[in-house]
Amino acid sequence: MMKNRILVFVFILLAIITASSFIGMHDQKLLQIQMPTNFPPPVYDLSINPVTEEGFGLGRKLFYEPMLSRDGNVSCGSCHQQSAAFIQAGHDFSHGVDNQHGRRNALPIFNALFYKTFFWDGGVHNLDLVPVNPIENRIEMDEKMDNVLSKLNNSSSYRNLFKQAFKVDSITSKEFLQAFSQFMGAMISANSRYDKYVRKEGETLTAEELSGLRIFEEKCRSCHATDLFTDGSYRNNGITNDFRFDKGRQEVTLNEGDKGKFKVPTLRNIEYTAPYMHNGSLETLEDVLHHYTNGIKPSDTVDSVFRKKDGSLGIDLTANEKKNLIAFLKTLSDKEFINNSIFSETIDR
Amino acid sequence: MEKVKYILASLVFAALLMSFIPSSDKKEIGTLTLQFNHLFNNEPLVFGKEYKNAHGEKLTVKTLNYFVSNIKITYKDGREYVVPQDSSYFLIRQSDAASKKIQLNNLPKGKCKSVSFMIGVDSARNTMDVSKRTGTLDVAGIAKGMYWAWNSGYIFLKFEGKSSVIPDSLSNNFYYHIGGFGGFKSSTINNIRTKTFDFPKPVSVRKNSPVVTINVDMAKLFQHKTDILLFKNSNVMWGELSVKISENYVAGFDLGNIDY
Repeated sequence: MMKNRILVFVFILLAIITASSFIGMHDQKLLQIQMPTNFPPPVYDLSINPVTEEGFGLGRKLFYEPMLSRDGNVSCGSCHQQSAAFIQAGHDFSHGVDNQHGRRNALPIFNALFYKTFFWDGGVHNLDLVPVNPIENRIEMDEKMDNVLSKLNNSSSYRNLFKQAFKVDSITSKEFLQAFSQFMGAMISANSRYDKYVRKEGETLTAEELSGLRIFEEKCRSCHATDLFTDGSYRNNGITNDFRFDKGRQEVTLNEGDKGKFKVPTLRNIEYTAPYMHNGSLETLEDVLHHYTNGIKPSDTVDSVFRKKDGSLGIDLTANEKKNLIAFLKTLSDKEFINNSIFSETIDR
Repeated sequence: MEKVKYILASLVFAALLMSFIPSSDKKEIGTLTLQFNHLFNNEPLVFGKEYKNAHGEKLTVKTLNYFVSNIKITYKDGREYVVPQDSSYFLIRQSDAASKKIQLNNLPKGKCKSVSFMIGVDSARNTMDVSKRTGTLDVAGIAKGMYWAWNSGYIFLKFEGKSSVIPDSLSNNFYYHIGGFGGFKSSTINNIRTKTFDFPKPVSVRKNSPVVTINVDMAKLFQHKTDILLFKNSNVMWGELSVKISENYVAGFDLGNIDY
């Protein structure tokens, strides 16, 4: 009995020493990621891939690394520019390798920790797997993952950075993708005037903006839900009824009822992310609201939320309401985020 | 000096842990090997060799890869042994003889009645983070070319080759890339196929590993429930027809010899 107790004691002692030796070996500096109090809980599990200074810095370097593309000309940052809240300013469709055009407007990539699915059609469902899609897409970066890894493994500076961040001697997809998730996971945009207003941090909204907020709650919130400003669902908002070249969500689910449906995008930083819609067909916020009042094109899958009592399609908004709504939407601009240099490309940090 | 002390302590700790494993357990462990044998019309499958499918179409094969996962052994007395999840994914490749042999270690001793496995990768694993996609499931490693990036999920079976019935404009190539785990959030096609192989008489799992051969006759891909013609459907990936194809090829998986 006594012997057993001593054995247990020695066991625990050794366990503690062993555990602490591992902590000692772990000299990456953890970065604290603050979850905004007005957001729903995160989806991505940061406990599996904790954000460290080294991992985040490496993720940022990779994000701006054109070597990830086949021809060495396109980086993630080429089509996701910080000044445009991480979309490509002024482009309906972004340019990939060999100057080819995609068929969908680039989506902003911030607040990715909080999303269940990614891309306009929701084809990817784990943040870690997001970068594989543009890297291997023929008209975006047109590279192969194994080739990207061999380029990185041939670079002594990258090998060194991966060693610092992940304690590995050779780079595999696990560390490569986890570095990306650390960088993108830390990209939280939650410091707009609206956020400071709802979190009661001393910000006030003008009468015009408050009126816009009321209209928003009444007429837009059902889809642009929560403070992520999207319910994450897929809907056909009648921006087009020509689905020959892009069937949207149907391409993933193969369900006829999903034809022409696309993910409800967030409205955060919308002031910076023109042009709008999955096909980038609307230039201004005025155009967007005009679309919802007068421009919804009927089709079999157009969302029922737009159906009025008389059977016609659209959302009723007066000219004044539109003006106030736009004033409100601009309170979602997060200047701190788009100017935060920790997300910026710089040479030799 | 500190580090050395810690390393020493870790070693002692590890040794201590080992000593806790009761030695009697070691005697209860057996092994069983699954050997995959690829055929076309009952003939050994050889890359580049010409075969004829049930519709009289001539073809040669250049790629055959598929995932085998979630292997389960059922014993005569009703016990079940499920290969632990993290070591339960195998990519069988015709091009790599070693990959065609799966050795299951640490099986409880006893008389086995049947073995079952998935041809494909279960839906849970298809949605996991990258830390759960190492080894066989590494999309830049072993699983290269066996993963769809835009419609995230593993390709369960890849069968490629050439046929003269396919136009020159398509370089006479055929491609069957079959995947689809049922969808995340909204349901879609599911090509995960599970098959159970009942042994004609119980297989005794002992130290000298019995070898269970699984014959895989790819001719079935073209004819079983649904006729698949190279002339009409030489390129099938994501789509409804892929379900018909997986229903066909699963019928080509059969129990072969059991050797001791």
